[in-house]
Amino acid sequence: MSFDSTYTKELPLVENNPTLRQIDDAILLPTQIKPLKGWWIALGLSATALLIGAVALGLTFYYGIGMWGNNQPVGWAFGIVNFVFWIGIGHAGTLISAILLLFRQKWRTGIARFAEAMTIFAVMTAGIFPVIHTGRPWLAGYLIPLPNQNGVWVNFLSPLLWDVFAVSTYFTISFLFWSIGLIPDIALMRDRATTKIKKTIYSVLSLGWTNSNRNWSNYERAYLILAGISTPLVLSVHSIVSFDFAVSVLPGWHTTIFPPYFVAGAIFSGFGMVSTVLIVVRKAFGLQHIITMNHLDTMNKILLATSTMVGYSYMMEFFIAWYSGNPFEMFAFANRVLGPYNWAWSIMVSCNVLIPQLFWFKKIRRSIPVTLVIVLLVNVGMWFERFVIIVISLHRDFLPSSWGIFYPTITDLSLLLGSFGFFFTFLLLFLKTFPLVSISEVKGVTEGAQPTIHLHPHSNGYPKEKA
Amino acid sequence: MRLREEREQEIMDKKDTGNILPASSDENQKEPNYWRSFRELYNDPEFIKERNLEFSKDETSPPDTNSLSRLSRRKFLALMSASAAVAAAGCSNYRDKGVLIPYNSKPESVTIGNPTFFASTCDGCSNACGLLIRTIEGRPIKVDGNPDHPVSKGKVCAIAQASVMNLYDPERLKNPVDRTDKGNPKDIAWGELDEKIIGALKSAAAGGKEISIVANSIISPTAKKVLDDFTVTYPTTKIYSYEPYGSETKNSAWAKCYGAGNYPPVQLDKAKIILSLESDFLISDGNKVEAARLFAEGRDVFTGKEFNRLYTVEGNASLTGLNSDYRLILRTDLIEDFVWCLLNEFLIKQRLSVFASDVNITSKLQNYSLEQFISANNLPKEVIGHLVSDLSKNPGTSIVIGGSLLPESTHIAINLLNEVLGSSKLYSKEKNVHQIPISTPSEIDLLISNLKSGKTGVVIHYDTNPVYDFAKEFGYADALKNAPLVITMAHIINESADAGNYVLPLNTMFESWGDFQPRNTFFSTQQPVIAPLYNTRQKEEILLTWAKGNKDAFKADLYHQYLMDNWKATVLSEFKNEAKFNNAWSAALNDGVVMSKSVASDVPMQFKNEAVASLNSRMTKNGDFVLLLTKSSTLGDGKHANNGWLQELSHPVTKVVWDNYAAISTQTSKSLGVDVNDLVKITTSSGELEIPVFIQPGIAEGVIAITSGYGRTVCGVVGKDAGFDSNKLLSKGTKLSPYLNNDVKVEKSSGSYDVITTQDYYPFDEPFYKDIQYEREIIQEGTYLQYKSDPDFLRREIHGEAKEEELEYGSINKQYKHTGVKWGMVIDLNKCTGCSECAAACNVENNIPIVGKDQVKKRRMMQWIRLDRYYSGTPEVPKANFQPMLCQHCDFAPCENVCPVAATTHSTDGINGMAYNRCVGTRYCSNNCPYKVRRFNYFNFRDRFRDGIQLEESYSLMANPEVTVRSRGVMEKCTFCLQRIMDERQVAIQENRMVKGSNVKTACQEACNSNAIYFGDQNDKDSDFYKFNNSNLGYHVLDDVKTKPNVTYIAKLKNVFETEKSEAHN
Repeated sequence: MSFDSTYTKELPLVENNPTLRQIDDAILLPTQIKPLKGWWIALGLSATALLIGAVALGLTFYYGIGMWGNNQPVGWAFGIVNFVFWIGIGHAGTLISAILLLFRQKWRTGIARFAEAMTIFAVMTAGIFPVIHTGRPWLAGYLIPLPNQNGVWVNFLSPLLWDVFAVSTYFTISFLFWSIGLIPDIALMRDRATTKIKKTIYSVLSLGWTNSNRNWSNYERAYLILAGISTPLVLSVHSIVSFDFAVSVLPGWHTTIFPPYFVAGAIFSGFGMVSTVLIVVRKAFGLQHIITMNHLDTMNKILLATSTMVGYSYMMEFFIAWYSGNPFEMFAFANRVLGPYNWAWSIMVSCNVLIPQLFWFKKIRRSIPVTLVIVLLVNVGMWFERFVIIVISLHRDFLPSSWGIFYPTITDLSLLLGSFGFFFTFLLLFLKTFPLVSISEVKGVTEGAQPTIHLHPHSNGYPKEKA
Repeated sequence: MRLREEREQEIMDKKDTGNILPASSDENQKEPNYWRSFRELYNDPEFIKERNLEFSKDETSPPDTNSLSRLSRRKFLALMSASAAVAAAGCSNYRDKGVLIPYNSKPESVTIGNPTFFASTCDGCSNACGLLIRTIEGRPIKVDGNPDHPVSKGKVCAIAQASVMNLYDPERLKNPVDRTDKGNPKDIAWGELDEKIIGALKSAAAGGKEISIVANSIISPTAKKVLDDFTVTYPTTKIYSYEPYGSETKNSAWAKCYGAGNYPPVQLDKAKIILSLESDFLISDGNKVEAARLFAEGRDVFTGKEFNRLYTVEGNASLTGLNSDYRLILRTDLIEDFVWCLLNEFLIKQRLSVFASDVNITSKLQNYSLEQFISANNLPKEVIGHLVSDLSKNPGTSIVIGGSLLPESTHIAINLLNEVLGSSKLYSKEKNVHQIPISTPSEIDLLISNLKSGKTGVVIHYDTNPVYDFAKEFGYADALKNAPLVITMAHIINESADAGNYVLPLNTMFESWGDFQPRNTFFSTQQPVIAPLYNTRQKEEILLTWAKGNKDAFKADLYHQYLMDNWKATVLSEFKNEAKFNNAWSAALNDGVVMSKSVASDVPMQFKNEAVASLNSRMTKNGDFVLLLTKSSTLGDGKHANNGWLQELSHPVTKVVWDNYAAISTQTSKSLGVDVNDLVKITTSSGELEIPVFIQPGIAEGVIAITSGYGRTVCGVVGKDAGFDSNKLLSKGTKLSPYLNNDVKVEKSSGSYDVITTQDYYPFDEPFYKDIQYEREIIQEGTYLQYKSDPDFLRREIHGEAKEEELEYGSINKQYKHTGVKWGMVIDLNKCTGCSECAAACNVENNIPIVGKDQVKKRRMMQWIRLDRYYSGTPEVPKANFQPMLCQHCDFAPCENVCPVAATTHSTDGINGMAYNRCVGTRYCSNNCPYKVRRFNYFNFRDRFRDGIQLEESYSLMANPEVTVRSRGVMEKCTFCLQRIMDERQVAIQENRMVKGSNVKTACQEACNSNAIYFGDQNDKDSDFYKFNNSNLGYHVLDDVKTKPNVTYIAKLKNVFETEKSEAHN
């Protein structure tokens, strides 16, 4: 009986078998040294982008939404495209933290913290857009159901209102989840702090963590409960975002497939973004042994799976449009392929469905340059997916008399750039202030960290039963 | 209370007797186990006393009245309120906010908040339609038609609708200007100016120099009298009258054919068969207001009257042509041949009338054969066959109408054709009147040669702009430099004013007195509804002052008195008694119209065959191109170029705004190698023009059509440089007509220019888009024959054989039952011509801002009602459908349930409302509106357009106070004129009755020239509206989306020979 142990033995999640001290050092290094030149350059770039966005936002506030390219048929364009795009990005974190935690996927530990941080920043970025895209953002408070002297209540039938609740809940839970997960690590940083200021800040943030048994058991309990709460949110947030479209009557929006399709797409884009950034970060901070090639390989498999789901959704949309026999529906989809925006549709299909199919090949999954290119394309493709859904459906709807076309303005592009600036500025600051990998969790999955039983060399691998 | 007092007293008594012991001794003489303070421990008697009191010391003792202020409460309140009032008055600088004075003596018929209506007359063009001006607290805010007016019958055109903007235009001339020193124009006082000018006039008259008054056609009898008086004072006066884009050739042909007079009005309502030859009578040719109404009366399914049938033969793709049942495309310079061929058919072949035996005429027809013409020009033989048989079978009820731009020879042929067909019965007995005959080109030449030779002393531009209007061939601008004194009366600076010495600001029609006699059957009056806003005078009183030869002759009511005196002597001469005259005069002003008592006896018109016999020159095909200069339906001859509402009202066919263009066919564009927006250079003997190309489906090959009124170089900021000056191509009209030229050179020029439309063009002949409006059931059509044989055909087509009750939608929503009033609108597409008057009226009623060309380009138009135009067929031979599209006030409005803040909601009377103050501006409602009728304030357009000219103070007077002016970031849309519905509700409450649907008229409904819009209560089963609303031709646009709209469209019936809709399409 031949027995190949490589098939049954799990690959090590942390390579090179580091000591616990080495893990601490490796992960905390970026927070303890002076910023490197590369970090300054990156921050300079992203802060510049953020400033450009801020100027564009100022112009929008001063003059009005007219600074954007939006127009009569196309009431929503870059603003909402960016919103859905960033909300989608924000899905990987919670999926990795919560769902994979519940499924006991231990490989998540290497990337969870970082993905969660990205979720928070992505949701923050996304949250800006629904507010600024309104004509009178100073009245955005009207969307909150507060009793008022006018006796006007919010409209609970409107999916936009559901968005308000869904996104704010998602942000709150994600933030709690992330900050609770940070506590043991912050306590570690407190203990290693060299300056008084750091010591004070980290002491406050660690909430008196003593690493006591009691601490740990409460922590584990809280973490698990929050994971339980987050899990439905992963599915609900993007489902509700998709209702913005699915609940309308517009051909190309009015589709029952949207909730699962949007969730799959969100996970797809989230993983795309996490991969993109991680590939750079693990190299820049020398964490290849903690965020290993196996991690990237696994993420690529998830990308492949979700890409295929997204591809299925695209196909199904076309099939249903044809099968419905509804002329509006048929035209809306034909117009995606044949209309003036067919280039956007082509970008979407090739980046989201065709190119990720290369991940069927193990060599490509494990090639970092190729992976980087593909995940970058996934980001592009997923942005265009939202463009296709929103702008193409709107620009030619029911009455041909009111058909139009949308051209982005410089303000639109600046705000898109600014959103990346906002996201990456926060991300870079995060890298310098908090451990980007959960130290306590990684320690738990290193070789030999688990309780082991000394086995008899000739035993069958199981502890002997007591006689 | 008593208990406490007793106890207090007890303690006091004890104190007084000195019988004070520690508290413990009072009880059981023990020291307390628990003590709160040393005072308690040691049984301080004070403490014991206090402890036994419910309230601390002093608290219950009565106040010391002596220590209080002596101020009484009454006095205190008085002082406080006085100081509050003083503070309030002192803080707000009310003096800066103008003077607010209530009516001490309330003017009769004015109730604050209620509008007052005044009858008046429009002076926008020579049709002089009757007006009913709505004023609120003294401000004219809306213009509609005077229902008592015999011609316009309560309707006016877009120019009149938008005319309130001319009154409040901040760029109006506000003072007389002395421009003698060109570099340094300065304001001048009227008195000084009058003195100078009277002096100059006197010396010119004394020196035998001509005083030239250049006027448009004069249709006011009293103005004519003023001119006569002026001529008496200054005998060298000569009056030149011209009408840009008028009917000179039509009238001169008429005079040749019938001896005298002008082309009369046509009784289109009595016509069964109408053949329009290059005439856009539904929108710009002749009296459009009357023609559209009469034409629509012949296409009303609800009267049961037989439909008329409209054939057009034209080179341009006119609105009339696209509304016709049969449209034949023919180069404009072949139209005369076509008429001769028809004459040949009727006279030689069918020998229809007495003229068949008139050799003088028949000899002229020998060379024309209809068959050959048909095959030579590839015309559809079948349609011509229908036309010929229709015309010959309907003697006396068919009419041929020629376009005003056709040459005299064509009009003579057309007049003959009408005689042959017996159509002269349809000529109205009324006569179009000009008080002063229109000057011929040779007379204008004389004016110019007098100027050049120095025979002219003074030139007075009598509210005209000849430098812009005259054909450049005349060389007027150059000749004007020789004039010693040029006086221009104008509302806004113009090219002629710029070239002259004095510019005299004029009153608008809202500030003027006047009378008009556009036809011999009636007079209409004009009265001021507001005092002049600026230091302006009306043109008649200026001339009258000069005619009196004394600057002091001017007084405020000079012309008013003069007008009344003239009427006392003429129109109302039967009222000798002063009091009776005053009554009659007030009645005339009240009605706005006085019918003529003595209409000239009806002399039968005799056609003079020598007009045909002596005809030498004929229009024949020549060269590759034919140039048509057509009158703009919005800017007219360019006089209204500074009116932004008119500039932004899209061309009814091409939907272009803010510009004119050279409309050419696809074939012509291919042969010239140009595409849309490419510049071409058009050269004629009179001049050349570089203008962008617009490819217009359905225009004949080689025809180039350019709309008038654009390209003003000296104008306000709104109209300046909008479009291209087509007058550069105008000719004297000696060859064909001033507006028609087939000796044209066209070549591609370099560069391009953006021509902007409000409706995007898609290749409607490609399979992807072909007949999309029919496929989506946006446009429902049938034929008249089909309707007559099966009135329910449409209902069956839409719903199959389903019964009425089965048509109720099954919905997961519970539908609100509108049991009371439920408002609805019906739009009859048989009567709608697509002219856009409704949009013009809506702009004014609902304070809709001008957004400017750049914003239209971005598709951010703000008009609440738009005229959708759909083409079908091929770009060479298209068919068009027009459909007014406005908020459909759906029962299941998709916009309502997606608004997160409930800013758009449904009322119990079925109206989809907008709460502007609640709107956050998510634009979700607009996205979810299948009709895309919602409009978003992407900017504060008033601030953005032309550096905020719409925020000028004078414009704020123009706003309808009953409609909110929307801020930026707010969604808006048609409200079914909610303010008018609220007025009716108010009245109903006062009168203690139910709201009545027929009492409310929306602005678009009031404006619709062809009465195609009905509005009312859908639940009022006794009303006419109920009948319209439940017509078997009624349908809802996008029924499939199940929004349950409350706007019902009456399907268009084409009066063609085919009985099937499908055949009608193809």
